[in-house]
Amino acid sequence: MELLPQALIDGLLIGGIYITIAIGFSLAYGVMHIIDFAVGEWIMLGAFLGYYLNLWSALDPFILLPAVFLAFFLIGYLIQPLVYRVISGKKGNPVLMGLVFTFGLGLMFRGSALTGFGFYSHSIPSAISQNSFFLEMGGMFITIPYVRLAGLLYALAVTMVLHFVLKKTNFGRAVRALSQHREASGLMGINAKRISSYVYGIYVGISAMTGVIIGSIFTINAQMGGEYSILAFFIVVLAGMGYLPGVPWASFLLGLVQSFFLIYLNPSYTLMAVFGILFTILLISPKGLFGRGV
Amino acid sequence: MNILNIKDISVCYGDIQVLWDISLSVTSGQIVALLGTNGAGKTTTLKTICGLLPSVSGQIDFEGKAISGFPVHDITNLGITLVPEGRQLFPKMNVEENLLIGSYLRRTHEHRARNLKTVYELFPRLAERKNQTAETLSGGEQQMVAIGRALMQNPKLIMFDEPSLGLSPILVQEVFRVIQELHGQGLTIFLVEQNVHQTLKIADYCYVLENGRVVKEGAGKDMEQDTAIREAYLGF
Repeated sequence: MELLPQALIDGLLIGGIYITIAIGFSLAYGVMHIIDFAVGEWIMLGAFLGYYLNLWSALDPFILLPAVFLAFFLIGYLIQPLVYRVISGKKGNPVLMGLVFTFGLGLMFRGSALTGFGFYSHSIPSAISQNSFFLEMGGMFITIPYVRLAGLLYALAVTMVLHFVLKKTNFGRAVRALSQHREASGLMGINAKRISSYVYGIYVGISAMTGVIIGSIFTINAQMGGEYSILAFFIVVLAGMGYLPGVPWASFLLGLVQSFFLIYLNPSYTLMAVFGILFTILLISPKGLFGRGV
Repeated sequence: MNILNIKDISVCYGDIQVLWDISLSVTSGQIVALLGTNGAGKTTTLKTICGLLPSVSGQIDFEGKAISGFPVHDITNLGITLVPEGRQLFPKMNVEENLLIGSYLRRTHEHRARNLKTVYELFPRLAERKNQTAETLSGGEQQMVAIGRALMQNPKLIMFDEPSLGLSPILVQEVFRVIQELHGQGLTIFLVEQNVHQTLKIADYCYVLENGRVVKEGAGKDMEQDTAIREAYLGF
């Protein structure tokens, strides 16, 4: 019982990071209908950029976030036309083509990373990495490492900025229009290719920033991508494919499940439990937690 | 002065040709109608003008400028607006957002507030429902949003694809009243319809499409008198 508050807090802290692992992925799916299996590799590449920038400049990883975002936004923006070509080809099933293409892209990234960055694990030290916040309430102890709290705040900030942009700006309305009705959005004067490029850039940028956060909380290595791809896929399916407002809730749910398993049961069964829950929820509601997915 | 000139366009879906050398023109400030039965090629004609479908031959001129082969968003930016068949609203957005997306183009930003006010005056119903999502509206209300959204684009030429489809007789009257009102304000209108009787009453000029070919054209009033047309194409 005395571990319950800690389990809840841990779940929310870890769930926060999961939001940013999946939110860009969900956005890209909503607009381009692509299931990008390279999502984990973008996280890994972003993490390594953060790691090397930190080594070179000695700046705190949290300060490096804008630079990482900008670099990867540009990469995503430039690579999108290629992805677009693959998924809008006349031959073959576009969803399948997208899957295979991004899977291959991911493999290439992972292979190159193993060659370039080596096999070892690293972490990106932040000034706040060492300190924690302790709470004691009636015999119950709660520990909140500052860096995890900062991670949660980062995730909430990204979510809120994205929410604001999508709801209140001309660009955001265009993104939503494009995901809801492609042909009609063209009739509104929306340039689908350009908007898709921006969206892909934003998605890749958010994923890369999240990699840096992961590096300052946990460790990073060239082979970390697969695990995060699975997590992102899990969250997006649970939230409902392309249903953005479902992502934070699905992430927190996943975070809580993980932390409860870690604390109360056997950590080795975590992934099994996670998939058990996904399976059950999809049986009951095939369109995700909220029944609003595609 | 013709705002839109179409000369000999042919359009294919894969191997099947659906439009055969269509030529027509729309004069500034008029209501020009395109009539025909299901499958005659009316929607295809509109989609080709908008750039949603490519033509295999022929030329489309808008304000004296060739626009064939332009992408749809560029054609929209020139001032051609389509109120599509089946409204094609953005279902999860509310009424106001659907209208605001109509003024996505930069050239319309400065008129946004005024246009929004005009639309709400034209359809007071929409002002009452501005926070309701489009998918929860009735067919008539959806049609109002679709027309309002088109007006937000500051069009020079507004094209309607069967605006009366699926509406009750009272709402059909309402839609035709709105079209006439827009015409009165000086807008150029290209109207595609199956509701022949209503259309001929308001159209200045009229084309009849059959199996992908223009088979008849003339002033709206002459068409109504023409017994051959009445029997062969208009069915009354």
